[in-house]
Amino acid sequence: MAGTQQCSTMQAHNPDTESEMLMDQSQGRLELESQLIELSRVPDWVVELSDRYGLTEETRFAVNLCLEEALANLVLHGYQNEPGHPIVIRSFVSGGSLFFAIEDQAPPFAPVDPGKPEPVDLATMQPGGNGIRLIHRFAGSVAYEQLPGGNRLTLGFPVSIGKDVSV
Amino acid sequence: MTISTESMNGDVTRVVLDGRLDIQGAAAIDLKMNVLAGSSKFLLIDLTNVSFLGSMGLRSLLLPAQAVKRRGGKTVILNPTPMVEEVLRASNIGEIIPIYFDLAEALGALS
Repeated sequence: MAGTQQCSTMQAHNPDTESEMLMDQSQGRLELESQLIELSRVPDWVVELSDRYGLTEETRFAVNLCLEEALANLVLHGYQNEPGHPIVIRSFVSGGSLFFAIEDQAPPFAPVDPGKPEPVDLATMQPGGNGIRLIHRFAGSVAYEQLPGGNRLTLGFPVSIGKDVSV
Repeated sequence: MTISTESMNGDVTRVVLDGRLDIQGAAAIDLKMNVLAGSSKFLLIDLTNVSFLGSMGLRSLLLPAQAVKRRGGKTVILNPTPMVEEVLRASNIGEIIPIYFDLAEALGALS
């Protein structure tokens, strides 16, 4: 049985539920290949969801940011920048939040919040390591599950939608 | 993502970025930013029209600022949107590259 790690204080939705069964596969699912260029497909998808659910500019920014950071991390580190591996993103609404479940077949990797960065000066600051920090800062909830042969990272963003629907 | 420059008094180069500073945006400006970092003493990076900033974009701001500092110069950021500013603050880059919302104040910090 795969392990589950809750990475934030908010309860994340488990995608293996009834709402997932109702999912509209044409709009609630985006499949990518493990190349950075594939990430350019994400913003248009987010625009579709934003228009459909009237996401605020701030929420749309946060969704784009967290998806880019999570996916770049997955391509560059999980898949070691090797093309040809699958990434599946599924979106659904539950409990007043819009969720994105990112599934991969990469080695296990739990995106634990690194916390607030240590004070540094300009000369010694390293130009990396902010991706996971930004995810935890901008997502409403972050949940990680280790799957048999992969990972599932579920990111949640509060939205003003009254009922549970798949999107 | 587009990048344009303007030479200002006091060896200041104003770098105006326009668009999304995501992975693709960062790749589009990195070469020019590196050239500017090697030829300018003071950089004023104008983010007024930058609608998105991710960690790859942070890298595109940090590395030139470090290069300019090594040569005795300085970099400031001008007028980020609230969400872009939040990314800068969350990553600490907003604490070590000064942020201004007034052009005269930004230029004053570089003089």
